[in-house]
Amino acid sequence: MFELQRITKQFSEKFVLQDFSFKIAQGDKINIAGRSGIGKTTLFRLLLGFEQPDSGTILYENKALNDTSVWELRKKVAYVSQDLNIGRGNVQTFFDETLSLKANLAHKIHSKADIKQYFALFELSEDLLSKNIEELSGGEKQRIAIINALLLKRTIFFLDEITSALDKVLKTKVLDYFLQNPEFTVLYISHDNYLPSGVELKTLKLD
Amino acid sequence: MNGAQDLSLFSMFMCGLMLLIPLAGVWYMKLGISKNLIVSTLRMVIQLILIGFFLEYIFKYNNWLINLSWFLVMIASAVLSVIKNSELKLRHFVLPVFLSFILANFFVVLYFNYFIVDISFILDAKYMIAIGGMILGNSLRSNVIGLGDFYKALRKDEQLYFYKLSLGATKYEALLHFAKKSFVAALNPTIATMATMGIVSLPGMMTGQILGGSVPLVAIKYQIAIMIAILASTVLSISLSILFTVRYSFHKTGTLKKEIFRSSNN
Repeated sequence: MFELQRITKQFSEKFVLQDFSFKIAQGDKINIAGRSGIGKTTLFRLLLGFEQPDSGTILYENKALNDTSVWELRKKVAYVSQDLNIGRGNVQTFFDETLSLKANLAHKIHSKADIKQYFALFELSEDLLSKNIEELSGGEKQRIAIINALLLKRTIFFLDEITSALDKVLKTKVLDYFLQNPEFTVLYISHDNYLPSGVELKTLKLD
Repeated sequence: MNGAQDLSLFSMFMCGLMLLIPLAGVWYMKLGISKNLIVSTLRMVIQLILIGFFLEYIFKYNNWLINLSWFLVMIASAVLSVIKNSELKLRHFVLPVFLSFILANFFVVLYFNYFIVDISFILDAKYMIAIGGMILGNSLRSNVIGLGDFYKALRKDEQLYFYKLSLGATKYEALLHFAKKSFVAALNPTIATMATMGIVSLPGMMTGQILGGSVPLVAIKYQIAIMIAILASTVLSISLSILFTVRYSFHKTGTLKKEIFRSSNN
């Protein structure tokens, strides 16, 4: 699905990735590990085209990722960032805005039922829908961002420390949801060292 | 109209004396801006003397080509001022903002002269330059806020912009959030001014007209018209400035070009 070929990325003097190659197949569950500041988030940003590699090629479905295909890719991948600056205002409006984007319009019709289902699954009260994002706790915001990603019905997930503000039970629940689904291709950064049962995890260690 | 009473040389001398008050204040409180204050005052006096003579001739000849050219000069200096007051590079922004200002301000001024004032010569110096100047001045102020903030917010909240792109937003969809915010910021001062107009202060244009001999009921009509024209030109010029500059300010992958900013720090 993805292939990184000899990617090098440098910020000022520091190499984040040097001559780095890796393959990601459909259905893979890949834990991106490495100490903080090593460039785990940069990997996501490269894959989404927010950063360009200094050298090397990123292949997406066997074609080099370019100015055009990166826009298509962004409609296939659901990215949950660790940065919780996801927007302002009413939670329901936030979901509506996401679903009103041209690329996501098809999912608007069944969104009401979806939201209900995900709220129950991730133990959120539906009262939250009428609250403002800036009033929510870190853990609530994290789950809202996760639900916002799930509403798009995509199957490739880039998850950047999405459980850092959740308690142990919820952490397990969230990670299980993504890792136990054979349809999903998941790249995730997490410091939890959680090993779900019956799932073959791959680890991509940056150092 | 008999016009406002002329001020004699003695009057201007007395006016100069009044400058001692701010100068004394600045000096006493050691604000460190005495030099700026004096330089700015001198610049104002010299510029206004020059423009005074210049406008005498412009009004006397009232030639459409000269009027038009002078209005273009006014627009150009407004554009330079907008960009200078932002963190943006002149080279990247001068042409699109200039184009935006020409379209927005010409449209509003000509509309004003043709439909509202209903003068037969719509490039008349008095209307074109005086009304145009007021509209342009406000476009300038609101673009300093609107356009400047738009790019500043994009740079500061780049994560949020990327987040929208990752959700599948097109560049324009992702930028909408930022454009909305800069519109609000740019329109708010005018909206606030309108709400207190006439009670807190008499606007400069009305003061000028009343001193010039217009009756208050004529002056207020012009004032109402000019405020609405200002709102129209504000919305037009910011929309166009954003629309035109956005074309050149992003890489094809949708990321903001860092080289459009003067300073590289975040």
